[in-house]
Amino acid sequence: MITIVNYGMGNLGSILNMFKRIGVPARIESEPQAIEQAEKLVLPGVGAFDAAMTRINNAAGLSELLDRKALVDQVPILGVCLGMQMLTRSSEEGTLPGLGWIPAVTTRFPKLDGLKVPHMGWNVAKLNTPSALTVETGPEPRYYFVHSYCVHVDDPAHSLMRTHYGVDFDSGIGRENIYGVQFHPEKSHRFGMQILKNFAAL
Amino acid sequence: MLLSPDINQVDLRICSRCIYDERVPAISFDNEDVCNYCRQVESLIEQYGTGQPKGEALFGAILDDIRRSGQRKTYDCIVGVSGGTDSSYLVGLAKEWGLRPLAVHYDNTWNSSIATMNIRKVLAGLNVDLCTHVVANKEADDIFRAFFLAGVAEIEAATDLGYAYLLRKVAARYSIKYILEGHSFVEEGITPLGRNYFDGRYIQAIHQQFGRRRMETFPLMTFSRFLKSALFDQVKFIRPLWYVRYAKDEAKAFLSERFGWQYYGGHHLENRMTAFYHSVYLPQKFGSDMRNNTLAARVRNCTMSRTAAWAEYNTSPYVEEELVSYFKKRLDLSDELYEEVMQAPPKNWTDYPTYKERFERLRPLFYMLAKANRVPMSFYLKYCFPAKAPA
Amino acid sequence: MLRTRIIPTLLLRNESLVKTVRFGKFTYVGDPANTVRIFNELEVDELLFLDITASRERRSPNLKVLADIADECFMPLSYGGGVCSLDQAKGVFDIGFEKIAINTHASEKPGLIGEIAARYGSQAVIASIDVKTGLFGSQTVQILGGKRNTGRDPVAWGKEAESMGAGEILLTSIDREGTWDGFDLRLVKRVTDAVSIPVIAHGGAGSIDHIRQVVKEAHASAVALGSMVVFQKKGMGVLVGFPDQNKREEALA
Repeated sequence: MITIVNYGMGNLGSILNMFKRIGVPARIESEPQAIEQAEKLVLPGVGAFDAAMTRINNAAGLSELLDRKALVDQVPILGVCLGMQMLTRSSEEGTLPGLGWIPAVTTRFPKLDGLKVPHMGWNVAKLNTPSALTVETGPEPRYYFVHSYCVHVDDPAHSLMRTHYGVDFDSGIGRENIYGVQFHPEKSHRFGMQILKNFAAL
Repeated sequence: MLLSPDINQVDLRICSRCIYDERVPAISFDNEDVCNYCRQVESLIEQYGTGQPKGEALFGAILDDIRRSGQRKTYDCIVGVSGGTDSSYLVGLAKEWGLRPLAVHYDNTWNSSIATMNIRKVLAGLNVDLCTHVVANKEADDIFRAFFLAGVAEIEAATDLGYAYLLRKVAARYSIKYILEGHSFVEEGITPLGRNYFDGRYIQAIHQQFGRRRMETFPLMTFSRFLKSALFDQVKFIRPLWYVRYAKDEAKAFLSERFGWQYYGGHHLENRMTAFYHSVYLPQKFGSDMRNNTLAARVRNCTMSRTAAWAEYNTSPYVEEELVSYFKKRLDLSDELYEEVMQAPPKNWTDYPTYKERFERLRPLFYMLAKANRVPMSFYLKYCFPAKAPA
Repeated sequence: MLRTRIIPTLLLRNESLVKTVRFGKFTYVGDPANTVRIFNELEVDELLFLDITASRERRSPNLKVLADIADECFMPLSYGGGVCSLDQAKGVFDIGFEKIAINTHASEKPGLIGEIAARYGSQAVIASIDVKTGLFGSQTVQILGGKRNTGRDPVAWGKEAESMGAGEILLTSIDREGTWDGFDLRLVKRVTDAVSIPVIAHGGAGSIDHIRQVVKEAHASAVALGSMVVFQKKGMGVLVGFPDQNKREEALA
């Protein structure tokens, strides 16, 4: 059973809806006891970095539990949008540290002439390091993005997908059991469905 | 209701030529064990010369008249379209015959994307204009709901009648004298009257009794409106596929190759109300399965073997997941109410006011109108003779 | 590269989908959730729903219809119509909508855009600006579904909306709506020149060429389509669809 973590921020219903549509059992949980049982976790997120990290840190036992599930139990985890940014060690959007599960950093899009921020709309992701998360996506999958900050991994091997918007950034990252996608698979039609299908099949 | 798929294992009287069995309403078998419906199709083929020089000649004369009556007008005929094989192919034929058709579609707001995309692709590929009437969704749902609560089989009556009237109305609006409709008795047979009655009085009566909203956008064809169209608007109702050669499989191949048209797979996926009607409502509440109409027709025209047709007829129909929950949600039916109605004994169209008696009384008039193509011949055959209520 | 967004814009009237001409006469288009399924199949980039009588009727968003719509959608959804408080906005976001368009209540409640933007981010708030041309050619902002003239200049109001925190502007020409005559390019350019946030041009699209013009010449960041996605062609019947992908890419290359 896939568990979508409800810490108070994110497109939970839409993610659940897409899992339902592709026939994968999933549920939304906020209680630590329930999250403890999870075989796979999805970490959603929409909004500001510090706001999200604060909620996670303040929810009793949640932060430790997530660390344990990710790093000790090593269940497959998928961070979505802000959820992916939270996997990095820090973000220029805030001051709090991130979960730091993947060596990477989240930075603001540069101020370039004509570059409207946030990056909002459909863009193409080019596959980088092969991964079980990105099988059968087709040569030029496109996804829906909406974000003002982007992620850069330390080790290129952890970059699963790259996208260009003013600069090249990592739109999909992964290290062992931990994955992240900057775009919203739940809003990306069949392209998003493929990603979620792949995650469910891990 | 589903019997053994092996036709030889079944203890029922089955027509020796098609697969209609003794359960079919108003069926009879002659001394060759051939059913009256097969004989009816035989006689129609003879009458209309279907696929033979006689049919081509008869139809040729009609074509000439269509062209003549449409001179100096933007369109010379109307073709009703649904996105399905017959109507899509018919539009193509119309263009090939040098006609200038106006496509007409009646939208009861339950269309699937396949229907919409098929209509779009075929009409764009042929450069044919489309006229649509969309019923207000809540009103359409109210009428469906009324029929459901009334306990009768004809939950699609409003769609059928709305379609028929829309064709006539659009013809009148554009002063077009010919309506072309894609029915083929060779490929589909003539549906026995049994449980698919529809007329304006029937719909009005059921809506008055069980409906909750006013009827404002639904095109209701009352008896007088029907006669006005048939008698005064001088609109002719033609079924070209009753005259010319038509092979459904070839049509499907042509349409998908030429336009990227998609076949529904025979599960009525083109419209979710139709799908509910055929695969859930009729079988579960009325023990009735209308798949035998098309299957029997295919056996008659030798595109399917009798044994294969019987086997298919006696396998469970495909039901789209969540079709029933969608039906309940749209029609505002609680689970309890839905179950209650589905379990309740079926009612019949004979339990409600209809124009049936009037149609029978005016048989001579309708005979003339049918011969003159002002009303469909199938209407005359089904409605103008006394019908026994189904068991 | 980021694709130019082409957004089917569907109008809700009570619980039905309709299409209007110049904010007036309307035609029934279909059932909202059923129609959304068709757009799903067509894989459109994004959908925008506008409840055209909510503000006029002082009604709040119909959450039931919106939930039915959201259940069917696997692409970004935006909603506008009658939203007048942060709470109502939350209700709509929670159902699964990405963005909210504020029109009438941006005028009547100056702090509203800022409040929603602060909580959900600017990218979640669209300032919806309806513009009508008066008798003597001057263009002013209308609210309440085109029923009340605020007297404001669209450019000034656009700049104010940006400063209040809106992430985008939906700029609708009431005069062009439903006419297939093309966008009001001059109006669109005046606004795109004045603001730095994306402007979605709305009202008048009749062909791919119109789309190309408003993007290339008037610098619209995105285009909202009404009649073009619900009718077979100008003057003909309702038939839901979306411009062919190849034609779109060719025009916007």
